[in-house]
Amino acid sequence: MSAVSRRALVTGVTGQDGPYLCELLLAEGYEVYGMVMPREVVPPEVPAAVHLWEGVLTDSASLTAALAAAQPEEIYNLAAATSVAASFDDPVAVADVTGLGVLRLLEAVRGSGAPIRLLQASSAEIFGGAVTSPQDETTPLCPISPYGVAKAFAHQTVQLYRRSHGIFAATAILYNHESPRRGPGFVTRKITTAAARISRGLDGELRLGNLDVERDWGYAPDYVRAMHLALQQEAPDDYVVATGETHALRELLDIAFSAVGLDWHRHVVTDPGLLRPAEPIRLCGDASRARARLGWAPTRDFPAIIREMVAADLDRLDQTVPPTAQAPASPAAPRRGEPG
Amino acid sequence: MRAMSKSALITGITGQDGSYLAEHLVSLGYEVHGLIRGQNNPRAAIVRRIVPELHLVEGDLHDQSSLINVLEATHPDEVYNLGAISFVALSFKQAINTGEITGLGVTRMLDAIRVVNPAMRFYQASSSEMFGKVRESPQNELTPFHPRSPYGVAKVYGHHITVNYRESYGMFAVSGILFNHESPRRGLEFVTRKITDGAVRIKLGLETELRLGNIDAERDWGFAGDYVRAMHLMLQQDEPDDFVVATGETHSVRELLELAFGHLGLRWQDHVVVDDRFIRPADVAMLIGDAAKARRVLGWRPTVSFSELIAMMVESDLGAVAADLPARAAPTPR
Repeated sequence: MSAVSRRALVTGVTGQDGPYLCELLLAEGYEVYGMVMPREVVPPEVPAAVHLWEGVLTDSASLTAALAAAQPEEIYNLAAATSVAASFDDPVAVADVTGLGVLRLLEAVRGSGAPIRLLQASSAEIFGGAVTSPQDETTPLCPISPYGVAKAFAHQTVQLYRRSHGIFAATAILYNHESPRRGPGFVTRKITTAAARISRGLDGELRLGNLDVERDWGYAPDYVRAMHLALQQEAPDDYVVATGETHALRELLDIAFSAVGLDWHRHVVTDPGLLRPAEPIRLCGDASRARARLGWAPTRDFPAIIREMVAADLDRLDQTVPPTAQAPASPAAPRRGEPG
Repeated sequence: MRAMSKSALITGITGQDGSYLAEHLVSLGYEVHGLIRGQNNPRAAIVRRIVPELHLVEGDLHDQSSLINVLEATHPDEVYNLGAISFVALSFKQAINTGEITGLGVTRMLDAIRVVNPAMRFYQASSSEMFGKVRESPQNELTPFHPRSPYGVAKVYGHHITVNYRESYGMFAVSGILFNHESPRRGLEFVTRKITDGAVRIKLGLETELRLGNIDAERDWGFAGDYVRAMHLMLQQDEPDDFVVATGETHSVRELLELAFGHLGLRWQDHVVVDDRFIRPADVAMLIGDAAKARRVLGWRPTVSFSELIAMMVESDLGAVAADLPARAAPTPR
């Protein structure tokens, strides 16, 4: 173990990527602080070694306090209102957290005067309406959802602070990345969970919006590795993190339902009510820069990711004792103690 | 009573463009409401004097419910969002506030319109600062944005969210990408007015020198009175769209100095001191706008040339500064 452990602050620690990143940083010997919202329920996936600290991206003072407490050398900003679809319902709140939140964080970093490195989790949604494919770090931004617009603001703000204020601020432009820990609201997890439940006779059908959507889907643990690598370079930069191949929702359905021996055509119902007002048709990332400079490469291919998700969903179902057999289980993990 | 007169709401009414746009809309028979923040805003009296027909209403781009209340009370056919922290240098010092007002304020207004009456037409005052460090010249509606200031980044956000409301919610929301536009009503913090006012004060013996940053900076400068006409035209089209508004020619600060000091019979080289403190952290390179689409679709064109504009500003400053001087008394240094 190194004599002096490095310190990192991770925002959005309760999302899919937060726990994976915390695991990686802990394994690298970091002391890890995780920022959580007041009264936020912390899922069991967040490693116990992570120090939890309350703070919100909408409150500059709480960010300054978090920096003072954690004294981080590196900040990973994963916090955001992550649902693209829900962003159409409240664009103002999305902009406040996902967009302005990054600006507040950068101002706190600047105000601290410390040589803190910051990684911003940018998103392929900043290219939403891109006319060229694949997209790389030089592709013009063309967001087509309130989420994408807010992420574009965050992305350009990071670039501005890098250039104008000399802050080591990097972005990882993350294309879709999935895992068994993906939230149930995301289409991949929605499909793998449905396949598992239908195979167990718990559900009869699955309702989906646009089946022609194509995405570049990667594996979340691979993507947090790229974020960490981006902060270990000599200079900050932007890195597209993607697999470079796209798959249609139909393929995803094929793999997920085949894994449980079913034909998706017999169970999937398309529902126009689930169509978004605007949806990127094809986003595909060119991660050449990350591969060349960070030595990064994905470790899981698409079918393997989906099969792992289906298997995990089946395991969860099998671990759930039928509700008639015992008293209701506690609905959520107990909240961990206050920091410090 | 006029049966069919249109009504408009203007944010940023106390700014340069607010008063020109209000004058223009009043001349077209509009009932015009201006959004004003807080009590006792000293600039309210100025705009009221320029446009006596104007109705001022209280509201704040920070506060969405205040915007909803204003829209419900005034029921405008057209909303012009000119409100912003618009001074680039200040945006570096107040980056968060700039994001709040110049950026998020746009979303608050668009969302207020969506809630109250999505048929209201919306104009967003976008800016050539969005282009920032340009990689192609001239810039048009398809040029990518590489903003170089918190103001530019916030304006890009405002532009994108305006396009987003148009495409996702079907609203008549347009973005006018306006290049620099000046007038005698320009704030003194802007370089054009700083120079015309400075030249006049030097001419009248009130000052001896003028300190400036990068005098080689070039800009595409037009006349604000021309540019507000374009704003109005954009909301009169059959379909909402985005337009660059510019003269298509650039001039350097050096040329501006020649014209302003020359108009007063002075040599700028005798009075101007270049001061590094005024150079911005990440200054933009050459901005020059291609307004071909506005000329073609809107039938818009500028009517005031650069030299006429600077002469107009110098004459106005001469009148204003001279009026402040004690009659016949020798000017005293301030």
